Amino acid sequence: MRILFLGTSSGAGKTTLDALYCRYLGRKGIKAAPFKASNLSLNSYVTKSGGEIGMGQAFQAWACGIEPAVDMNPVLLKPSGNGAIQLVLRGEPFMDITKDEPMDRDMVMEKVTESYDRLTEEYEAVVCEGSGSPAELNLQDRDLANLGMLKERSVPAILVGDIERGGVFAALYGTWLLIPEEQRPLMKGFIINRFRGDGSILKDGIETIEKLTGMKCLGVMPYLNLKFPEEDSMSDKEGKLEGSDTREAFMNNLDELLDEAIRDGLDLDGIDRIASE
Amino acid sequence: MTESETVIRKKTVIYVISADMILSAETITSSQGASRMELIAKKVREEIDRGWIGPNKECPYHPSHFTGQDCTFCYCPFYPCNDPDLGENIVGKRSKDIWNCTYCLFIHRPEVGKFVMSEIKRQNITDPRDPRIKEILPVAKEKFFRPGKAVMILGATSDAGKSITTAAICRILHNRGYLVSPFKSQNMSLNSKVTREGAEIAMIQVLQARAAGLKNPDSHMNPILLKPRGDTMSQVMVEGKPFADYDVKGYYEEFVPGPGQDIVRRNVDFLKKRYDYVVMEGAGSPAEINIYDKDIANMRAAEIADAVCLLVVNVEWGGAFAYALGTVKLIPEKDRKRIKGIILNNVRGNIDNLKEGAKELEKIAGIPVIGIIPHADLFLPSEDSESFRDKGSVGNGKMVISVIKFPRIANFTDLDPLMLEDTTIRYVEDPKQLEGSDAIILPGTKNTIDDLKWMMRTGIGDAIKKMKGKVPILGICGGYQMMGRVLKDPNGLEGRKPGDTPGLGLFDNTSEWDVYRKKVVQDEGIMIKTGEPVMGYEIHMGMTDVKEKPLFRIQKHFMPDEDEGSVREDEMLFGTYLHGCFDKPAFRKYFLSFIKHDGKPVKLEDVKDYDDILEDSIVKMTETFESGFDMKKLLEILGAKE
Repeated sequence: MRILFLGTSSGAGKTTLDALYCRYLGRKGIKAAPFKASNLSLNSYVTKSGGEIGMGQAFQAWACGIEPAVDMNPVLLKPSGNGAIQLVLRGEPFMDITKDEPMDRDMVMEKVTESYDRLTEEYEAVVCEGSGSPAELNLQDRDLANLGMLKERSVPAILVGDIERGGVFAALYGTWLLIPEEQRPLMKGFIINRFRGDGSILKDGIETIEKLTGMKCLGVMPYLNLKFPEEDSMSDKEGKLEGSDTREAFMNNLDELLDEAIRDGLDLDGIDRIASE
Repeated sequence: MTESETVIRKKTVIYVISADMILSAETITSSQGASRMELIAKKVREEIDRGWIGPNKECPYHPSHFTGQDCTFCYCPFYPCNDPDLGENIVGKRSKDIWNCTYCLFIHRPEVGKFVMSEIKRQNITDPRDPRIKEILPVAKEKFFRPGKAVMILGATSDAGKSITTAAICRILHNRGYLVSPFKSQNMSLNSKVTREGAEIAMIQVLQARAAGLKNPDSHMNPILLKPRGDTMSQVMVEGKPFADYDVKGYYEEFVPGPGQDIVRRNVDFLKKRYDYVVMEGAGSPAEINIYDKDIANMRAAEIADAVCLLVVNVEWGGAFAYALGTVKLIPEKDRKRIKGIILNNVRGNIDNLKEGAKELEKIAGIPVIGIIPHADLFLPSEDSESFRDKGSVGNGKMVISVIKFPRIANFTDLDPLMLEDTTIRYVEDPKQLEGSDAIILPGTKNTIDDLKWMMRTGIGDAIKKMKGKVPILGICGGYQMMGRVLKDPNGLEGRKPGDTPGLGLFDNTSEWDVYRKKVVQDEGIMIKTGEPVMGYEIHMGMTDVKEKPLFRIQKHFMPDEDEGSVREDEMLFGTYLHGCFDKPAFRKYFLSFIKHDGKPVKLEDVKDYDDILEDSIVKMTETFESGFDMKKLLEILGAKE
């Protein structure tokens, strides 16, 4: 099984839904691992082997009930403030990316797919997370975590859209339109996140998007406030964890949220089916 | 009728008779309509004798309408012109028809003032009653009267930057000599402001009107204002007055298809007659396909106004190309044709990085990208949606000002000027957060009694009482009412269950909601202690019986002054109904002067007028937009001269 959660923007809720699905698989006794090809973040976690990965993948690993490992986030990009970005490759600092010294994208993508392939061999399921929006026209040809994974490993994808600021139908449709035609059939479903109020009001809009894109709606989620560590520079800053054991507090919160999501009709069977295709 | 209502009503009449304050003053003193006409004739004779003067910058009221106006005819030589394009008959206070041309700007257009005077001189007219004067109007209209154009700023999301783009385009057109009005058919906002007619409109349209160079924004510019009440209902204000309360469903199923469309049409038409440009702001996203037919704030309004549209996308969150393309593609063909340009807004970093993507988007969407606008740090009024999202505090200054974050907080733009000073504004929802405060402010609320009960339940109320005398405490509007001894709601108008609610007891005042009435008025006056000016506006239900020393003296035009607010200096307690009380430097400086660090008052340097700061921000904002726009393309789309 493998699945890729993509977002229509930063902070759309990819990380949360990814973690929820990891937890769901864990509860079912499926051996799953998280994966995010590349992460732009200053918040990192040090694995037992001493490697550095994005904090999000560490939490997602715990959600799966496993220890975080460097393959789960082979590329970590850490802005160092003066325009340079430190590239952490499979847990080790590799180079400083600057204007004059760009990253060798193809070499890095190869490392990414190697890590991914190792995970698919070791685990029954790999739950992947995209980065930012997959529809950044100016970045698409260099992309790793979104189009990169679609192109190199044909991972079926679910698009998460944030309705809080409005324009979610445009965001879903526009993102789908900007995925190259060859990869579009991989876009299997979408989830509308952060909806408050009576969901029936969205019905016509959802049907239109399903018809236009062929993606299936897998859920309309209310404001699921996952108290999650800072994933990237744009996400919710409200998340604070009570108690001394961060990991335990996180797991308790995640369990509550998963129950809530199930109650609110998150179509986990549907996601299973897509992941098993 | 209560005393306060009488005042409001009288005040409205003063302004409705004529746009000119001076004339109004003399109208009040004269008892007959006939003498009013004599007075106008006398004034017009003086004007004819004086000849063309252009803008009269010496006049203390200048500019009374808009920056750059012609003041040759402060008193219109055509009054009453009875031209339905320029004014309308209203029923006056003695049930007689009065020609109302409050909103007419025609005679103040620079080209019109000059032309009319030159015609009067050319024909050697000296008598204001000369019938030939009236014949000049149709000639002037033929020459200069043109219906305005409309442009609409759409946003791919909320917070896309529609409001400031609208303001920037208002200023860009104003700078090129056009008469410009902002417009937003429907605005959901807790921050309203009072116009000089005593109507409530959204704060942001007031700012846009300022950008357009207008002195007196009016309710046509935001004819539908939704004020969330804190439950599922919103109070719907139409043309500045309370209309009815609706829930979401009722609003879309009853209000929109019923009165909604007509309201939009009549106000857009009204503005188009008077301005060269109506710069309209959309609401939310125009591509909410689930409610597309019921949306009167976006494409439907554009259709009614026959507006060209520009689409703004905020680049900051990522996915901007997708948002832009999806928005354009989900809008039906007949409406999509109106969208003439896309604006990528709020770009941090090098804007060149986006240029290739923008070209690609143009190709796919079939609409040019006419602007890539860099991010700018601007000091502008807080917007509802972004103000409190994720924010526990604003600023990083030495003076810690705790603002009680009522669940139904309203008019919190009152606090914006404090951010000009060396402050940290902390939003308090828990009594523990009050620790270390240098000052406490109880702001306005949409429901005083519900929020008072919330405050007592959370323990914040008791914590505030304990801090009495230690730090300055200010209540504004609802917060001021809470500071009193008791809040009486015998008919359950505010608290819904009839009865009395004890207040904080910081003041000896009593507030009462005896009948359903609302005071909405602009105020000007002085701080009693220093005599320095204050300005603001009141919007409240419930009236207060004040037993304290007053804080302000409100100077009414042509009526006795009124005391306002409460103060106990020794206990550092302050209360007022005046929204915007911090805008002028005087009260801001006074209030903050009570803050002590290490036993010494905190030094305040160069306390600025908030209006000047806003003007600086508008200038900076406009420059930022101009730097990012393809100006040639923009003006071509707008049909404006360079």
